[in-house]
Amino acid sequence: MGYEVYRMEKDRARFRDIVRGRLRGDLKKYLSSTELLGQRAGRTISIPVPQIELPRLRFGNNESEGVGQGPGKEGAPVEGDGQEGDAAGAAGDEPGKHVLEIEVEIEELAEMLAAELELPNIEPRGTKQLLSEGGRYSGLRNQGPRSLRHFRRTFKRALTRTIAEGNWNPADPRVVPIKDDERFRMRRTAPLPESSAVIFHMMDVSGSMGKEQKEIVRIQAFWIDTWLRSQYKNIEVVYIVHDAVAKIVNDEEFFHLRESGGTKISSAYELALELIQTKYRPDQWNIYPFHYSDGDNWSARDTSHCISLLRDELLPRVNQFCYGQVRSAYGSGQFKKDLDKELGGSENLVSAAVDGRDEIADSIRAFLGRGC
Amino acid sequence: MVRTPNLPPRLQREAQRAEDAARAAGLDFFEVVFESVDARDLNAIAAYGGFPRRYASWRFGMDFERLHKGYSYGLSKIYELVINNDPTIAYLVRSNSLMEQKLVMAHVFGHADFFKNNAWFAPTERRMVQTMDAHADRLKRISAEQGQDQVERMLDRALGLEGLIDPYLPLQQTKSGKSVDRVGRARASFEAVMDGRPAPAPVPTHLPGSTLPTYDCLAFLIEFAPLEPWQREVLRIVRDEAYYFMPQRQTKIMNEGWASFWHSRLLTNGLLDGSEIIDFADCHSGATASQPGQLNPYKLGIELFRHAERLGHDIFRLRKIHNDSSFIDELVDEEFALENQLFTYHDNPKGGGPQIASRDWRTVKRELMNSLAWGGQPRIQLREVDAEGALVLVHRHDGRDLVLQEAGQLISQLAHLWGAPVHLLSLDGGQGKRVTAGKAGVSVADCEEAVESCGGSTSPKQRPEQKRRTA
Repeated sequence: MGYEVYRMEKDRARFRDIVRGRLRGDLKKYLSSTELLGQRAGRTISIPVPQIELPRLRFGNNESEGVGQGPGKEGAPVEGDGQEGDAAGAAGDEPGKHVLEIEVEIEELAEMLAAELELPNIEPRGTKQLLSEGGRYSGLRNQGPRSLRHFRRTFKRALTRTIAEGNWNPADPRVVPIKDDERFRMRRTAPLPESSAVIFHMMDVSGSMGKEQKEIVRIQAFWIDTWLRSQYKNIEVVYIVHDAVAKIVNDEEFFHLRESGGTKISSAYELALELIQTKYRPDQWNIYPFHYSDGDNWSARDTSHCISLLRDELLPRVNQFCYGQVRSAYGSGQFKKDLDKELGGSENLVSAAVDGRDEIADSIRAFLGRGC
Repeated sequence: MVRTPNLPPRLQREAQRAEDAARAAGLDFFEVVFESVDARDLNAIAAYGGFPRRYASWRFGMDFERLHKGYSYGLSKIYELVINNDPTIAYLVRSNSLMEQKLVMAHVFGHADFFKNNAWFAPTERRMVQTMDAHADRLKRISAEQGQDQVERMLDRALGLEGLIDPYLPLQQTKSGKSVDRVGRARASFEAVMDGRPAPAPVPTHLPGSTLPTYDCLAFLIEFAPLEPWQREVLRIVRDEAYYFMPQRQTKIMNEGWASFWHSRLLTNGLLDGSEIIDFADCHSGATASQPGQLNPYKLGIELFRHAERLGHDIFRLRKIHNDSSFIDELVDEEFALENQLFTYHDNPKGGGPQIASRDWRTVKRELMNSLAWGGQPRIQLREVDAEGALVLVHRHDGRDLVLQEAGQLISQLAHLWGAPVHLLSLDGGQGKRVTAGKAGVSVADCEEAVESCGGSTSPKQRPEQKRRTA
């Protein structure tokens, strides 16, 4: 690598700073679009940003005239994009025509999201901390290996002893430590709280959930994941789809699966509960179930079964349960009404209705705005 | 002379052979320095416009980001990069095959000859590597004094205006002998002081191009806008660099055509091994491929030079005196237009994208010249400072309308520097328009006067006045 590249790093960093600034300004736009989805690689997300153009004097619309080269009769359509090449030095680069991808770390994006939506940081609940053995050399003992000898402490003790014995001679300040003076560093283990969380994304994939509804869920799930990932060191995501029965799928299937048939919401809740009881025990995990549907359920009986599942089993075990109701052409939206009526007072249940992409930001704020 | 400081011996030999062949063919150039770099470095150098060092700006970072992404995704790759300088500096990408290196070398000698001999390049700074370095130092010092953000804002404003210069000014200056002999003057005053005589009083001179009316809006601002000294300095740097790059816009077709003409001739007349011919043909046809609706400067240029040679023109003389616009005026005839299947296109009035409008060679030629005149840029004249102290700019309309909204943003930056409102007269769909930028923002109004000022005629197919000062 030559020196040009190193010099370039400064200009590049400055450019990325500017882009971040713009990203901050335009975050609302990204909150309702699918542009960022599927761009995650490890801890970074690559964000497509339009090239920044300085205003210039440019030829406008009636410039779609020009000179070209190739076969064809007069009046025949010109294939290609109809722009002059840079031969004529006049191709109109519309703003936004050139798109660059900039990598941004998840933490940074989450921090922008928090600023935009005024999200509080999450305080993991005391009992939900997973303890791990952390250790630091913060203690002292009087025996140990040479390599761990604490020089300053040893010298101090030796000096004190020398003075106390009356052997201190400022003209010849010699201090000789004896074995009794020596102190060694000791490793102290302290239980360190380590925060782990699991996210359950549950979605109704029955016939009434269309493409747009699923897109909205995808966008919501992306931002929720981004936020929670920035808050917890250790995150696992479980995807559950349900129609009349529930099953665990991977993220690819989650967003693209389309089933037909009825809707039995309780099936998903039961599956989540089973996982919480077996794999993600509440004393070790912060648990965040999200459920998205268009609000139709098979029967009122199943709805009341859901409500009792939530009240008696799920809510006591999870940090927060979020229900997002996406409006669809067929959905009645009844489930949210029932939920609000029966469990509206619950501290850790949030329900939000999303009628369109513009409301995604509000729903995310509702879900994550409580900081629990 | 060719210098090859870090080339492997094999390539050094090839560079020497290519130089010998180029000289034997009659090409004439400054010393050429070939430097071998890897692709990442080349992208960085290319983002800096070919120079090892430029002033700090996010725009270079953005260009690098784009080039480097394009390269890593395998979408684009820079083959050759050569800069107009004495010595002429060219870069070879380490990962290229031997055939590609030979091709690039021969191509570079074509460019080097063009830089040295084409009239439009004659007034350009030939020690631009050092000049760019000095500009970078100056801006660094200014940033340290004034604060980086302030300087960056000023630089961005100034760069928006870099198109507002007069492409014909440098050549006029050389011809009329008006260019100031700075070195001579400095030497005279140095000698005077050393001899104990009083130094000659400095001759107050205004920048050439700063007298109204002028196309060199930057020169006018440098001289007369109420700016801090450091702001003037920033404008001066931007203007110097804009004048340095201007001839490359004006001669893109000729320059690439000339280099392609010579790489093709030199390589097929002995520089290539028989086994490399097929690969060369593949590579060459890739570079000169043309799509309908697109003009490839390499293709158009090489065909024009070949056509000129067939007609018995002295191609060395042509490459000396012309720019793209006058070159096409000289050479495009019915035979050429027919052979190269040139056409003009316009938007299908019924929708469905562009369609071929005409294959009449006169129409094609006129449109082509029209689009290339003035370096392919809108022609903007600074006409006057009006009674209220506002600047009045006039767009010399050639049939193509401006994007008025963006022009408004631009002149509001201009108004900021000028410290008073700025008007821009233009035509939009044949309607006279006046764009005004001032404290109150940007506004567009109908303006009868503009119809006359901007073109005299509202016909969009008006023939542009011809500039033939080179011939």
